[in-house]
Amino acid sequence: MNTLPLLLYAAAGVAYAIHFARRDTAVGRTATTLLLFGALVHTFVIGMQTMEVRHVPFANPSRAVSTFVWLLTLSYLYLELTTDERSMGVFILPVIVGLQTIPALYPGVEYRDAVLDSPWFWIHVSSLLFAYASFGLSGILGLTYVLQFKEIKKKHLGYFYTRLPSLQVLDVMNSRAVAVGWVFLTFGVVVGGVWTAQARGLDPTDPNLQAMSLDDPKIFVAMLTWGVYSFAVVARRTLGWSGRRAAWLSALGFAFAMLNFLAINYFVTTSHTFY
Amino acid sequence: MHLFLLGVSHRTAPVDLRERLDFSSRDLSAAAEAISHRQSLSESVVLSTCNRSEIYVASSDPAQAREELVAFLSDYHHVPVQAFQPHLFALENSAALAHLFRVAAGLDSLVVGEPQILGQVKEAFQTAAGKQCVGPVLSNAFRWSFGVGKRVRTETALGEGAVSVSFAAVALARKIFGRLQGRRVLIVGAGEISSLTAQHLRAQGVGEIVITSRTQAHAEALASEVGGLAVPWDSMINALGAADIVVTATGSQRPIVTRPQLQAAQGHRRSTPLFIIDLAVPRDVDPAIGEIEQVFLYNIDDLQGIVEENLSRRKAEIERAEAIVNEEVTKFMAWQRSRTAVPTVVALRQRFEAIRRAELQRLEGKLGGLSPEAALKEAHKRVEDIQRLRLIVEKLLLEPTEQLKALPDEETQAAYTEAVNRLFRLTDDEPLDEARGKRSVPTKPT
Repeated sequence: MNTLPLLLYAAAGVAYAIHFARRDTAVGRTATTLLLFGALVHTFVIGMQTMEVRHVPFANPSRAVSTFVWLLTLSYLYLELTTDERSMGVFILPVIVGLQTIPALYPGVEYRDAVLDSPWFWIHVSSLLFAYASFGLSGILGLTYVLQFKEIKKKHLGYFYTRLPSLQVLDVMNSRAVAVGWVFLTFGVVVGGVWTAQARGLDPTDPNLQAMSLDDPKIFVAMLTWGVYSFAVVARRTLGWSGRRAAWLSALGFAFAMLNFLAINYFVTTSHTFY
Repeated sequence: MHLFLLGVSHRTAPVDLRERLDFSSRDLSAAAEAISHRQSLSESVVLSTCNRSEIYVASSDPAQAREELVAFLSDYHHVPVQAFQPHLFALENSAALAHLFRVAAGLDSLVVGEPQILGQVKEAFQTAAGKQCVGPVLSNAFRWSFGVGKRVRTETALGEGAVSVSFAAVALARKIFGRLQGRRVLIVGAGEISSLTAQHLRAQGVGEIVITSRTQAHAEALASEVGGLAVPWDSMINALGAADIVVTATGSQRPIVTRPQLQAAQGHRRSTPLFIIDLAVPRDVDPAIGEIEQVFLYNIDDLQGIVEENLSRRKAEIERAEAIVNEEVTKFMAWQRSRTAVPTVVALRQRFEAIRRAELQRLEGKLGGLSPEAALKEAHKRVEDIQRLRLIVEKLLLEPTEQLKALPDEETQAAYTEAVNRLFRLTDDEPLDEARGKRSVPTKPT
């Protein structure tokens, strides 16, 4: 089910790359159209899975990745359509395509457990996924900022200089994406804590719930991620950490987020494995 | 009718001669009007910029057109013919068309790819059109040339990258700040180059422009010129702290700003980007300032390097642009040939329609002798037949119409037109003429 959106995303990715290299507006419009179609089909897939399990699918890592990709695509499309700036597509699409191959290859079965029926649980997961999508965008924006910054600072006005937006625009977009992501991350973590406390009362024997503490790698890295982004938000306002420093911070934060979301999710977590 | 072009340009004539033959300082529309009143010249557009004075006309006799235009140039500008005759260039039909397309595309400009020329071509055409000096020949050629200019601009990088120091500086500022609206500019030293850069920045809608110079009077003069604010030389460092963009161009032998001075002046604004354009030789700004994280320091050599790189990049695009021009010339000529087929096509349709109508009339005569019921029945049947006939006529005409329009050259076209005229007796004023005037004229191909 996740293959069709993957194919559309891949086609959009190719079109974004051609658009970036040749700066051909017609190809750019094709890229956006393909991505819109991909997002539409993906929405349908997610919708079907939601009907099937009665909540947005994310209790299985593979499905969570699919939902994350969907949110990332929608956030990117929002950014593109509001700023009319397509050059970021070539950087974001590899992330989208790369991640979408996971659900396309391993569809996975949604885990069902009474303990996950709580609305707290799905608020927790969806706000974290949305936070990660924002961080994904901010990471890419940070990366492009650094590329553009290097060319202007070193006076080698080359390939990226002509193609990327201005430093100011990249910085402002990055700051917004980080702020939005931070709000959702904070909210998601708080809701997660509340839910754990509630669920422990409901099922005192569940080994997952008992393992939920800072000792769990997933929770630990999540807090670390929160620390990085909190610092990014505060440092921008008080220490004037904008521009390149902010860009690196958002790239670092996204690296933590992805480490947590992919590597730790699949291999080492103890408390967040529900399947 | 032929498209004919006579003119001088930076490629053929020195600047003093171009100045003497310049139309732009005088009334362009009057010139166009004066030309089109001449005997053999039915249409005219005068294109006059600092690099060229070109007259485009439609004429049935190019040799005579040339003579008349030479005489006109001499009369109008009071310049003896011998003075400009060797510097003239004259082109006809597809060569003239190709030249017009190249001009509109910026290929013939002194600075290849400069964007103003397309606007100047449009303006020249509109001026002439306003005086009813253009007809189908020039109107089609010029309108097509606007499309060519636009196509070259969007499909090639011919017009990309700044090719003057001040434009390069503005382009850089836009890549750092995005929109320049509201940005604060400080100009240090009120020379010609800083004035030019200030004007470009002003055109981008920057906020306040503060100007300072060792000679207060110079600062004030420039301030009034670009709508800025002159401040005394002593407050230069303070002004530096508040600026987003700084342009320096003083004659000072030693740097006028050092790194500690700037850092002290910036204070809490250290994290906001500062773009410094040092246009002075020797340099006004301590190069160490460029190492500050959010400071982007460009000196005159850096900017000139960018300009040269852009120029060579433009040159690399010339071939692609020329290919587009050639392609468009071919397309235009084919389109024009298809248009010359239009009268024949129209005549052919009229002929067929007239036959159909004649049939209808004949029917009316026949029905007159029948009883009302029988006539009605018969009439219904016949009318249906004739309605159907109309569709058949359309279908029959479709192929010959397309074929006639697609003929490869004018000679073949003339031969075919002649043949069709003869075969269908299109030139005769036959009695079937009553149907004329109610044709569906084929729409113009685009």
